[in-house]
Amino acid sequence: MSKRVQLSPRKKGERAAAYVFSLPAALLLVAFMVVPVIYTVYYSVFQYQVMRPNDISFVGLANYVKLLADSDFWLALKNTVYFTIIVVPTQCVLALALAMLVAKKFRGVSVFRTMYFSPQLTSMVVISVLWTVLYNSNPNTGLINSLLVGLGMDPINFLSNPKTAMNAIIFMSAWQGAGYQMMIFLAGLQGIPGEQYEAADVDGASPWQRFLYVTLPNLKGTIIYVITITMIQAMKLFTQPYVMTQGGPENATKTMVYYIYTEGFQKGNFGYACSAAAVFFVIVVAMSLIMQKITADK
Amino acid sequence: MKKLLCAGLAMTMALSLTACGGGNGGSNGGDSASAEGDVTNLTIWQPSDKESIENWWVEKLDEWNAEHPEIQVTRTAIDRSDSYAYDNKVATAVTSNDLPDILFVDGPQVSYYAANGITVPITKYFEDTSDFVDSTIAECTYDGELYAISATESSVALYYNKDYLTECGYDVSKLESYTVDNPITWSELAELAEQCTTDSYVGTHIIMDHGEGLPYALEPMYVSNGKDYISEDGATADGYVNSAEAVETTAYLADLIAKGYANVDPITDEFLNGACATEIQGSWDVTVLEDATFDWGVTYYPVSDNTGTPVSPCGDWAAAVTNNCSNVDAAGEFMQWLMSTENVASYSAAISKPAARSSAYEDEAMAAYQEYPLSVFKEQLENNAAPRPRTPSYATFSTAYAEAMTNIFSQAASNGAVEDSYIQEQLDGVVESFEEDYNTYYAE
Repeated sequence: MSKRVQLSPRKKGERAAAYVFSLPAALLLVAFMVVPVIYTVYYSVFQYQVMRPNDISFVGLANYVKLLADSDFWLALKNTVYFTIIVVPTQCVLALALAMLVAKKFRGVSVFRTMYFSPQLTSMVVISVLWTVLYNSNPNTGLINSLLVGLGMDPINFLSNPKTAMNAIIFMSAWQGAGYQMMIFLAGLQGIPGEQYEAADVDGASPWQRFLYVTLPNLKGTIIYVITITMIQAMKLFTQPYVMTQGGPENATKTMVYYIYTEGFQKGNFGYACSAAAVFFVIVVAMSLIMQKITADK
Repeated sequence: MKKLLCAGLAMTMALSLTACGGGNGGSNGGDSASAEGDVTNLTIWQPSDKESIENWWVEKLDEWNAEHPEIQVTRTAIDRSDSYAYDNKVATAVTSNDLPDILFVDGPQVSYYAANGITVPITKYFEDTSDFVDSTIAECTYDGELYAISATESSVALYYNKDYLTECGYDVSKLESYTVDNPITWSELAELAEQCTTDSYVGTHIIMDHGEGLPYALEPMYVSNGKDYISEDGATADGYVNSAEAVETTAYLADLIAKGYANVDPITDEFLNGACATEIQGSWDVTVLEDATFDWGVTYYPVSDNTGTPVSPCGDWAAAVTNNCSNVDAAGEFMQWLMSTENVASYSAAISKPAARSSAYEDEAMAAYQEYPLSVFKEQLENNAAPRPRTPSYATFSTAYAEAMTNIFSQAASNGAVEDSYIQEQLDGVVESFEEDYNTYYAE
């Protein structure tokens, strides 16, 4: 039989304050996360045409059965995973390299920090439009192809060739996102005690050894955090394919979120889109749990 | 204390959910007709357009609101982003019960919204439509009722850069000699494009945008070659958009891209910016080209060599009243005023599109349509305009077709050629999407 613990009035007050302070966050979480998730799962078992909200019919697991047989769904999942696998290490390595460059104290370093961070301050839509022009296949209008032609090479259809479209988006996304991760790494680097580097110098460590045995171990927590947030952001890829390629060519840049969006709002199959969203939700949660497990092990 | 907190939390939650769910309540910013006292507030959604038409709306709404204190109208311009952004915004508004009172819908979408009960009939406000051109009324009618009304029509023709063509050694007088019954043929256009494609220029421009612009601007090619996208009753696409004739039409278009005569990802205002020798574009470019630094001309929409049947695009955005409007009579009264001859004339002039009312052409504002170059578009509308298919599954068709064409054009640009079998496969995919949607939701 458990014994009820009597709290002092002060403790009770603190507990009440804790509830009150967490209330806004809890409400927002429930309103914008829990309720939509419940609705998504609910609608996923209905045939629901977006223009007919009052005429929906229960279809059981039919949407899920159709989804698993839909080659576009698997392709979108494959594209999302490919993007994530490539962009996460690329962006993290780039961000770490930039952070190490700008961590050094030299004249004008803040200018470089601002420059590397500035793509973050611009809307992704604006950046996507800008890069669409940079990537334009016509050397007269596309800056990159103009350079390639100037170097005596053939122009490349970056965004209209299924073989290059996703890679073009990956490159541009890594460029845009690296500045933010750079700032987090920079904070991590500045938290490493200088004595450890001095000790390494006394032991005669080479710059590579300093990086491997001092910098990296001290940044472990930061690295795990950066990888986790980059991975979650990568899984949600939408703006770039929406603005730059409309998921094409040949569905080469159709990601899961873009797939859900087109099924739900362009084709109007809301129930079906909800089933795709529910499956994707499970996948993202599973990946986050795996990351958490890895983090806990460390 | 704990109980008190729990009760408080539950109350707040219940209140917040009520606030989130109340689409018809007053908290949604007044997107539906709302009456305060004796005043009815109406809202309009329309795709944003160039400055001249945005200014027209400001001026006209000020005029209406001053004369009608009992019906106050506001308009929101929504960006289309050269794609389906506007349509998607409408779809989102349907799910959140947040539609405006008056919604501008693209001509072929009238059936889609009407069939789904999103818009309501407005026949009683427009009993005499004899002054409106037939193609407009046909497009705005569904199941015997008028569901929308348009001030304007649209048309597309072939623009050409006279200075550049002359520089290429092309005889411009040839283009000037074509008539509405005898336009430039596909093969002649391909020859012109080949002759005028250089390192600095492509011969032509065929991609209006990556959304409805594709099916809209290219449909007459298909009709001219013998097969439309969809059957006349709007029930099937099989044997139409995937027919041998359609494959041939698509192959012709893809070939222009494969050979580098047209860009697969043209920049905005490619023709104005002196990057293409000719372009397939709408009448609205006449205004855009006022800024051109070169001499240009317009000739009629190209015709298939096989049939020689001239066909041109038509149809435009039309105003409809949504099921969210609580004062349909007020909306009807406003739309009667909006569609008056005088307003139609000035609106058409501002948006650079042909008027949908015959009487509007007598207005001074429309005088330019009696003369070249705008007369080309008027002539086409009077002689060979073909409205897009009327089917409630048009939204699905449009998306699937645009996606298929983008794939085909990409393949053409990347490989320098496209197999007919690939075109067939892509167009069969369009049919599959269309049939699935139609049979699921609309087939009887």
